[in-house]
Amino acid sequence: MNVIGSALAVAAGCAGAAIPAAVVSPSWLRAKAAGTLTAAVGVCGIVSGAAALSGRTFTARLPDVLPLAGVYLGVDALSGLFIAIAGAVIAIVALYGIGYAQNGHDPGRASSAALPVFAAALLLVPAAASVSTFLFFWELMAVSSLLLILAEHKKRDSVREAGLWYAVMTQLGFVLILLALAWPAATAHGETFTAIRAAAPAMSPLMRGAVFVLALAGFGSKSGIVPLHAWLPRAHPEAPSPVSALMSAVMVNLGSYGVIRVGMDLLSGGSRWWWLTAMAAGAVSAVYGILQASVTGDLKQLLAYSTTENMGLVLLGIGTAGLFRTSHQSVLAGIALAAALLHVVTHSAFKALLFCSAGSVLRATGVRDLDALGGLRAAMPVTTAVFAIGALGAAALPGGAGFVSEWLLLQSLIHGLAMPGIVVSVVLPIAVAAVALSAGLAVAAFVKALGTGFLARPRSDGAARAAESPAAMTWTMAVLAAACTVLAVAPGLLGSALARAVGAVSPGGAAVSDAVGRRLAVLGSTLSPLVVVAGTVGGAMVVAAVLRLAAGPRRRAVPLWDCGAGPPSARMQYTATSFAEPLQRVFDDVLAPESDVDVTPAVESEYLVQTVSYHRAVPDRIEHRLYAPVIAAARWAGQAARALANGSVHRYLGYAFSSLVVLLVALAAIK
Amino acid sequence: MNGSADTQILDFACGLFLLAAVGALWRRELSAVIGLLAVQGAALAVIAAALGADEHHPELYAVAAGVGLLRAGVLPGLARRALAASGEDRESQPLVNVASSLLAAAALVLLAYAVAQPLARLDASPGARALPVGLASVLIGLFMLVARRKALSQVAGFLLLDNGITAVAFLAAAGVPLLVEIGVSFDLLLVVLVLRVLTVRMQSAFGATDLDDLRELHD
Repeated sequence: MNVIGSALAVAAGCAGAAIPAAVVSPSWLRAKAAGTLTAAVGVCGIVSGAAALSGRTFTARLPDVLPLAGVYLGVDALSGLFIAIAGAVIAIVALYGIGYAQNGHDPGRASSAALPVFAAALLLVPAAASVSTFLFFWELMAVSSLLLILAEHKKRDSVREAGLWYAVMTQLGFVLILLALAWPAATAHGETFTAIRAAAPAMSPLMRGAVFVLALAGFGSKSGIVPLHAWLPRAHPEAPSPVSALMSAVMVNLGSYGVIRVGMDLLSGGSRWWWLTAMAAGAVSAVYGILQASVTGDLKQLLAYSTTENMGLVLLGIGTAGLFRTSHQSVLAGIALAAALLHVVTHSAFKALLFCSAGSVLRATGVRDLDALGGLRAAMPVTTAVFAIGALGAAALPGGAGFVSEWLLLQSLIHGLAMPGIVVSVVLPIAVAAVALSAGLAVAAFVKALGTGFLARPRSDGAARAAESPAAMTWTMAVLAAACTVLAVAPGLLGSALARAVGAVSPGGAAVSDAVGRRLAVLGSTLSPLVVVAGTVGGAMVVAAVLRLAAGPRRRAVPLWDCGAGPPSARMQYTATSFAEPLQRVFDDVLAPESDVDVTPAVESEYLVQTVSYHRAVPDRIEHRLYAPVIAAARWAGQAARALANGSVHRYLGYAFSSLVVLLVALAAIK
Repeated sequence: MNGSADTQILDFACGLFLLAAVGALWRRELSAVIGLLAVQGAALAVIAAALGADEHHPELYAVAAGVGLLRAGVLPGLARRALAASGEDRESQPLVNVASSLLAAAALVLLAYAVAQPLARLDASPGARALPVGLASVLIGLFMLVARRKALSQVAGFLLLDNGITAVAFLAAAGVPLLVEIGVSFDLLLVVLVLRVLTVRMQSAFGATDLDDLRELHD
């Protein structure tokens, strides 16, 4: 057993020890004990992931751990990348969670015990090397995350609704993944990934296509890919913030991992239409997700929709890589896949940071509504600063972590235009446009989040009372912010790791280490992130200095002319809603917002208005159109089925008896 | 004893076993049904003993004695006591009348023979040939559960079903391990005791033991 296996074993051991520790320890010690052990799980993840990325591999068969099939583990560089990301985020967020739990925010026994299990499952899902092992860890991850989402169910009813949505969607996704993995396993007469990989070329193209579509839908629902995203904007806001960070920065990645593992590795490539489907789903998710994010007024929901956007971009990258691979463009395929994987890394970093700082805000103010926040810059300077760094990353601006990966993705798309074929020449420009549009909307969404959420004056009592979070939270957020900055300035540090991860499943791995170096270089286009960042920061400082110098004499404070309507109040500021209004107007046909204006006239005259109330909501239109009919049909079927159960014992016995007889008759007839 | 006598005894016991099952469906008097259950239990014990002789498993004699004691003695005795406590001796309004029940029983026996063909073909021994009898008893027992109203008829149906399962186990594999057999018998005893208590409670609550009176507990 090498270092990868030992580290995973230690991680499982820590998680196992954390459960009794969380259950028996008193409440003042509980979060510390569970959090420390969970952080140890994360550190083990970093160690094993880093070992796998440095070129080691690990396989193990543990026949006695699970009944019937046993456990097969196999870690290559691709698994290692996802394990390392998971480990790093888990380690930091677990420590953040210790601070978060102070002063009466204790998550309780069940959540404290579920957290280490969730963490260990996140590490072990990418390490699974057989169908039953994979499904076992996947389900462990789903169930433990459901427990974590439900942590605050006594405080808000919406938590229960979110939990229900999550439970249903994750189970449906599980069924799809089960089909997608069990079918090839049955055809291959073996359930290890090695057996499936060996048997895949002999499978019929139709079956391979069906398996890929099932896997795309199943894993896509975990990644929040439109239209299977409905659980994500509900569950992420309602979960406690450390849990949101883990789910949004780590768990959703495993959906992308699944698509890569099944599509590129187990089924080894496949047809062009697979990857065009994946690209379409990714592009739609990216644009739709960020569009919803830019009009929502809930800070954590905004971040959740941004997760849909980023996972859409990752899927777009994966689809592009697959498309290039079917055309034997191995260099471009490798770079597109590297861009997708790099985006997974950067997204994990800035999304963990953003959810942690949103948690810090929520904990200090009790408010998630951006329209009721504001004025936090002075009271919570660290939180504001780290949120700004995270928002810079999410907005994909130079200096932000997301910029590098989106630039690589765009480069691979643009260079792919040289490929022959009418489909490619239609699809790739659309993909470029989708990436560009989502990047532009992301700027609007995060300017809104930072500007109305943190700057200006507080718009509610909760925001006015805010105070900076405890040190345990601020320094962990600072670590995440430093990680984001390093990724933005020196992505080349990851070059060889990305090359190995790409090389594990796809041709073109060698090209990646040349492309992602100190300078990013894709077939002639080069970019040095360090120079870009230095230039941007230097330019901004010069502009600020010039403005300061040109401003002339010192400012004087004089009373503002207020048209006789009284002094300006915090209610007169730009709000998140008013900031998003122009966007909402532009995308009116897509978003179909609902707005109501109720005017109540005075009794004497209809021209004298007594009250005006304005109500606006932007319901998720895809959800409304797609899910409401399905839910209504399920409810109707449920109501209709009640007639079957009238309480008579004889009738129930009759059902059992008649179905038995029908089965036996069928059996006799077949024989 | 020679082999052919064993086979004859086995065939005879199987025939009696099936006949008792059909008879339980035919008779409306609950006391007669309980008597037929005792006959079926005894036939089951004989089947076990004959198989023990045929296949030279001496421990099957002990199993046969236990099965006979439980299914021909204790369980019918318990049912009879419940009958005396409830005070009604006729299945007056069965959901399916007797003539139709007998036709259904004939169809079920045919079905059992049709389904058990592949199993009977596996082994040429007399036990395997008689296997459909056990399956038929299972189906008839289930049918009785569906078609009869009184709580004691339900007990009888359940016992027919379980006798059938046990008979299949004996005929197909010369019985299940002793431990499992004891466990199953113990469960059976408990079920009959619980149903007996239920009968008495229903009698005191409704004045009758028609199961369709119990309709409150539904969605």
